[in-house]
Amino acid sequence: MQPLRIAVAQIAPRLGLVEENLARHHDLLAEARGRDAGLVVFPELGLTGYLLQDLAAEVAMRADDPRLHELAAAAGDTTVVVSFVEESTDHRLFIAAALLEDGGVRHVHRKLYLPTYGLFDERRFYAAGDTLRASPSRMGVGVGLSVCEDFWHLSVPALLALDGAQILVNVSASPGRDLASIHETGLGTAVSWRQLLRTYAQLTTSFVVFCNRVGVDETISFWGGSEVIAPTGEALLSAPLYDEGLFTVDVELGDIRRERIALPLLRDERPELTMREIDRIVAERAGLATDTTAEPDTPAGPGTPAVAGRAAARRRDGLGARRPA
Amino acid sequence: MTPDGAPLAPPFVLPEELRIDGAVARRVIAEFIRRQLAQAGFDRAVLGLSGGIDSALVAYLTAEAIGADRLLCVLMPYRTSSPASVEDAEEVVRRLGCARDLVEITGMVDAYFGDHAGPGAAGEEARDATALRRGNLMARMRMAVLYDRSVTWGGLVVGTSNKTEALIGYTTLFGDSACAFAPIGDLYKSQVRQLAAEIGVPDAILRKAPSADLWPGQTDEAEAGFTYPELDRLLQAMIDRRRTREELVAVGFAPETIARVERLVAASEFKRQVPPVAKLGPRTTGVDYLYPRRRPGSARR
Repeated sequence: MQPLRIAVAQIAPRLGLVEENLARHHDLLAEARGRDAGLVVFPELGLTGYLLQDLAAEVAMRADDPRLHELAAAAGDTTVVVSFVEESTDHRLFIAAALLEDGGVRHVHRKLYLPTYGLFDERRFYAAGDTLRASPSRMGVGVGLSVCEDFWHLSVPALLALDGAQILVNVSASPGRDLASIHETGLGTAVSWRQLLRTYAQLTTSFVVFCNRVGVDETISFWGGSEVIAPTGEALLSAPLYDEGLFTVDVELGDIRRERIALPLLRDERPELTMREIDRIVAERAGLATDTTAEPDTPAGPGTPAVAGRAAARRRDGLGARRPA
Repeated sequence: MTPDGAPLAPPFVLPEELRIDGAVARRVIAEFIRRQLAQAGFDRAVLGLSGGIDSALVAYLTAEAIGADRLLCVLMPYRTSSPASVEDAEEVVRRLGCARDLVEITGMVDAYFGDHAGPGAAGEEARDATALRRGNLMARMRMAVLYDRSVTWGGLVVGTSNKTEALIGYTTLFGDSACAFAPIGDLYKSQVRQLAAEIGVPDAILRKAPSADLWPGQTDEAEAGFTYPELDRLLQAMIDRRRTREELVAVGFAPETIARVERLVAASEFKRQVPPVAKLGPRTTGVDYLYPRRRPGSARR
């Protein structure tokens, strides 16, 4: 099998300047194609910049926007992932990543998890996506798209892999923070992400492609450090922190089969078990069933068995009692 | 090394939990400075150089980011300012090779408060003005000079405040806190010292006691009543690590120190925020009209 050349465009999008960013995408796409890349990945909101606030509505585009189709047309036989603010027909704004192939938009992933804590305020400006699907691709393997925070939820890589993704692509605009010198890379954020990426690649026995932007929006600096991780968990490409550039690496898609035969974790997954337990947990959290592992002060659901009541009472005397009121 | 060969004492105490990766910090700050200027349509910068460590570090960082030829350092002594401060500032200018301007603020300040010759614009009463009033006016006169030089030099005013003084409110509102952007505003004083040592700020500046230099003999630590390493450790634990009062006491901070620092932080919240606008219309700046500070069209050219 021909190796697949993956190009990661670790760029610094200009805030709110869509035409400028589009031109940059076209330039880098041409450069990547000149270097025979089969997959080119751009970062989260690469076409718009990240910290848009009320600008989000002004730079939003529909998934059928001709500018996306022009990019897709320019991609030729290369697969491209780009990210932008998507406006739906009912005028909700999403942070979206699109898989462009064969001259069109093959798949759009809407960011599922919108961080609204700490330095993040995404939920104020965007709607959260409702679906998660792996997409087939011309590369011959399924692709699973996710956007930044989506990867901080275990279910996302797990579901994408179960759905047939063999390349997990995460596009990010991750702000660097925590410069404490104890960190291996000098940056706490980078250390956390690197752990996640390796773990997901190994547990899903898939390739993981992480494209994180660089540059500065207002107060925050994005740290880059894009990576490509093999299904074994081995890092094949680690782009430098903070440097803008187009970074490429050749991967053997045959490694997916090798790893999945040797380490059949996906074969052994128990989705029906997961679903049963999830159904139970959802019902309990909704108060529709007795919560057998409830916090002591949670009102019991209908028909609480006496034994659960005693367990709760024990917890109240123990750990629960130490909790300040 | 000292002349007799003994190693010099380290110029400052750096608590281990405050140590940062200086190379990464310099990288981030340089790009931050370049982007802030570019987004506003500027390629030059101006700052007030006091002879202290904060403004010296910012001068070095700015020169590193955009080149010393694009930086104007303005020295603005008052007649009671320590001569050593001016000398130290001049040494920074010499080493960096940046542009430099000397603007004595004595006339401006004395014109308001008066001097031995007679009362100033503020009248007889102001001749006995407290050191605090005088210090605040000096800081605001320096701000006025910097914003004037911002026009003549064609550069943005770079802030020199650090995180420690911002958090405890040891700053003059619209005085030294006024700036276009603040490159070291998220670094504690101890981290400022670490970075200053790494970037090559002159040893004399690293070693002297930090002072606002608003009156002779003033030092920050004497005025505040605690040392910077102690204060920085406490602030980091309280603010960045979200430790409760009980947890702080358990790791050895004195309850009265904690209480005092908590009061300082709470009492100066207003200094760190944009003044509130009375909400009347459908869209109010800072409330529900939220745009990036720099966005398409906001550059001056």
